[in-house]
Amino acid sequence: MLDRRIFRKIDSVTILLMVVISVVGIVFVYSAIYFQASQFVWRQAIWLIVSLLALLVAVMIDYKFLISISVPLYILMNIVLLGLLFFGKLVANTRSWIVLGPFQAQPSEVTKIAVILVLARIFSEYREDRLSFNGFVISSALVGLPATLTALQPDLGTALTYLPILIGVYILAGMKKKYLAIILAAVLVTGFVGWNYALKDYQKKRIETLLTPNQDPRGSGYQLRQSKIAIGSGGLTGKGYHKGTQSQLRFLPARHTDFIMAVIAEELGFLGLLAVFVLYFLLIYRLFSAVWVSADRAGIYLAFLVTMMIGCQFLINVMMLVGLFPITGIPIPFLSYGGSSLLTNFLAASLVINVRMRRFRYI
Amino acid sequence: MARIYEDLTVVIRRSKVALFVLTALIILVLVFYWKIQVLDHQKYWKMAEANRLRELPLTAPRGLIFDRQKVILADNMPSFKVSLVREAVNNIEDTIDNLALLLHLNREELKKRIDRYRFMPAHEPIIIMDNLKLEDISLIEARKDDFPEIKLEVEPRRYYPFGPTGAHLLGYLQEVSVDEIRTQPEKRWRGGEMIGKSGLEKQYNDNLTGREGKILEMVDSLGRPRAEISRTEPQPGRNLELTIDFDLQKRAEELLQGREGAIVAIDPRSGECLVWASSPSYDPNRFISRFSADEWLALVNDPGKPLENRVIRGLYSPGSTFKLVMALAALHEGIITENSTFFCSGTIELYNKEFNCWFKPGHGSLNLPEAIRNSCNIYFYQLGRRLPIDTIARYARLMGLGQKTGIDLPGEKEGLVPSTDWKKKFLRQAWFPGETISVAIGQGPLLVTPLQLASLTALVANRGVRVRPHLVKEQEKSDGRERVGLPEAAMEVVIEGMWRSVNRQGTGQGAYQPGFEVCGKTGSTQLISRESAERLIQRGLEVRKTHSWFTGFAPRDNPEIVVTVLVEFGGLGGQTAAPIAGQIFKAYREKYVRQANLQEN
Repeated sequence: MLDRRIFRKIDSVTILLMVVISVVGIVFVYSAIYFQASQFVWRQAIWLIVSLLALLVAVMIDYKFLISISVPLYILMNIVLLGLLFFGKLVANTRSWIVLGPFQAQPSEVTKIAVILVLARIFSEYREDRLSFNGFVISSALVGLPATLTALQPDLGTALTYLPILIGVYILAGMKKKYLAIILAAVLVTGFVGWNYALKDYQKKRIETLLTPNQDPRGSGYQLRQSKIAIGSGGLTGKGYHKGTQSQLRFLPARHTDFIMAVIAEELGFLGLLAVFVLYFLLIYRLFSAVWVSADRAGIYLAFLVTMMIGCQFLINVMMLVGLFPITGIPIPFLSYGGSSLLTNFLAASLVINVRMRRFRYI
Repeated sequence: MARIYEDLTVVIRRSKVALFVLTALIILVLVFYWKIQVLDHQKYWKMAEANRLRELPLTAPRGLIFDRQKVILADNMPSFKVSLVREAVNNIEDTIDNLALLLHLNREELKKRIDRYRFMPAHEPIIIMDNLKLEDISLIEARKDDFPEIKLEVEPRRYYPFGPTGAHLLGYLQEVSVDEIRTQPEKRWRGGEMIGKSGLEKQYNDNLTGREGKILEMVDSLGRPRAEISRTEPQPGRNLELTIDFDLQKRAEELLQGREGAIVAIDPRSGECLVWASSPSYDPNRFISRFSADEWLALVNDPGKPLENRVIRGLYSPGSTFKLVMALAALHEGIITENSTFFCSGTIELYNKEFNCWFKPGHGSLNLPEAIRNSCNIYFYQLGRRLPIDTIARYARLMGLGQKTGIDLPGEKEGLVPSTDWKKKFLRQAWFPGETISVAIGQGPLLVTPLQLASLTALVANRGVRVRPHLVKEQEKSDGRERVGLPEAAMEVVIEGMWRSVNRQGTGQGAYQPGFEVCGKTGSTQLISRESAERLIQRGLEVRKTHSWFTGFAPRDNPEIVVTVLVEFGGLGGQTAAPIAGQIFKAYREKYVRQANLQEN
């Protein structure tokens, strides 16, 4: 199975882009929390190396084998999530962490890989032009179960990142545009209109503290304001590395995680932000291109769903920072501090690389 | 292996649409970032600066107030205050709860105060406590990390070392009111600033107030200072040097102790006020805090009116002291000469009404100096018969009654000099000649302040030269000396009477000082007419005493000091006011004349 030729086909462009973005992330984690930066920087660097090694190991295994074991993997991960709800250690008010020595892991992140694999398995056999009702129910349930378990931890942000995977399946399996539009509209209406008009401030606050307990006590209004001030005051060229007043004086919340892009915008300005956007766009495009070279339907599903997951999470995060999306605690892939997220995104990308490597048959 | 050839074009097409949508959204978001970062940059830059920078005002110490010998009458001492910076507050209600608990404040009052200053920008600190005790300071200092929204600062606060002495003169400070801040034309006052609200503190507020300094510091999101960016030191206000002599002032207040009244002393050569006492007094140190409205209100509502500056705000009937005006008017109008005599039988009938002299047996025949010496009413009734009220009014005004003296203190009252016009205008009645008879001895609708009377006496002492009374030493000698149109000869006649009054067993003999030629005139204002007083006595009822006046100067030639004393309900002028004035003359003589004599020898 293992073939040196496979390694020659490994997609170094994707890996390079991911590593560059991750290193930019580490550089700005250092800037954002200088007072205990070394600890955070070392941890993240170790996570990056671990993730890179995991990726290299993962691409050696044919994705078709991974798909074949996807069902037990999916069941196992859901059992872990369920177990966490009952036996998980309460860290920062949520039961989303497994503590392994000095490292903590969030199973809810890694579960997304299992979900993508199991969806690829089911829909690779799918022969119909349009998404049937059964297909709709099964795919929704497969994504909905771990998402719900995650939301119950409670970790609304991570639960929300399951949504692009589901929508990706709907699109690819051919859900009618009408239904897709209805579902998207329903999500947007309940999300935006409900949030902005139906709920009173104190209700929002209660929901916020219920769903995202780690957030700043001053509430999302304060966070959004500070985030916009940070981004806006950065201007075209920025205030300089380590010189952003919003981040250095801690006006900006969650500077090393969800709001790290605001730190970059403040310190490097619009030009720096544009550079990071270009890196992301190249990465998303590169991941997407695996869809078009994939040898089979399962490969298409894997590549597409992973791209949707990473691309949408990026989009939602940058929208969140300027108030185009409610602040829900979604980190930006590769850039934000957080090992589980980094590992998950590397493993997810490994599936796409896997598909691209095995686009030709070796018979 | 048939699957290899399965048709995947549909699926790929769908994925391309998705990529297209995702790309479009990313570009839209990028445009939005462009708007925030580049187009609206200025707005957000300012917001970031407002976040980062905090300006703290540094209160400038007020100028000190000295007496003429550089005794400090109003000083400053460091005092601690606590202010709340609302910028750093998340939940104002919680903060109020916590602060009320920490500082032992009344929650409702604290909230009211914060609400009152809500209109100010959030970065301006609201002072919530001042004049702190040592244990409060250590408590706040110990817990300052838990309360980043409050600031403990030192400010120079006013301190009056002699408490009630000269309180009316110095005045007091109070917090500038919210209305004053709101209606001020340009930004001058900060919320919580202490400004002069009465006395010299008010009159010279602009001079005494220094220029505020400021600290510009960088703060973090919790309002903790991280670095000082710049600091402008405050400039203290200008000092004020008064004409007041503290020793005489203290003596005057001792003499008024337990009485209601006023003493003012002026140097007739310059108009400098040496003594300015009003009793009862109060201790301005008791309400120097911003949070002592209760103490102040108690004084406002005190029936003894301790806050009232009686020297310029007390309006009294001048009583017999007005006879000086009558005498000068009659002399100048040519109705009498120095030697004209009238006969006093103790009573006289004028306009079908009986008028009495205070001395029932009657003074017999007397000329003007004797009439002044004895304060004979009949003599002046005779003058009242011969002078129309408007002529009397003209002379009274010429000598400074019925108008402000222009003293450098706020709130001076004008008093009242009646005339036919005045009566027509305010009472819509014609003037009756009988009323002129009352005015002739200083009764009737005449009202003067002690300062007006002192100023009038200075005019007499100067033989017709008016000086402007003032309290602050002038840098340049711009003496407001001005001759009024009264002949010196007439003045000498009146002065002869005043001299006899004190030195020849006249009504003013209580003011006699051996070796210091005191000249003066007493006065007793009838609160009710003498007739009704006698009726009350016959019925065995108590009669409230009259106000007691003395106004005079010394020495007779080249006068150096004018003293005017008023004691409310003091009885006859000769009994109460004259001896008090005598004590002031004595104190002055001991301090100044003897020293001068010793130096000459």
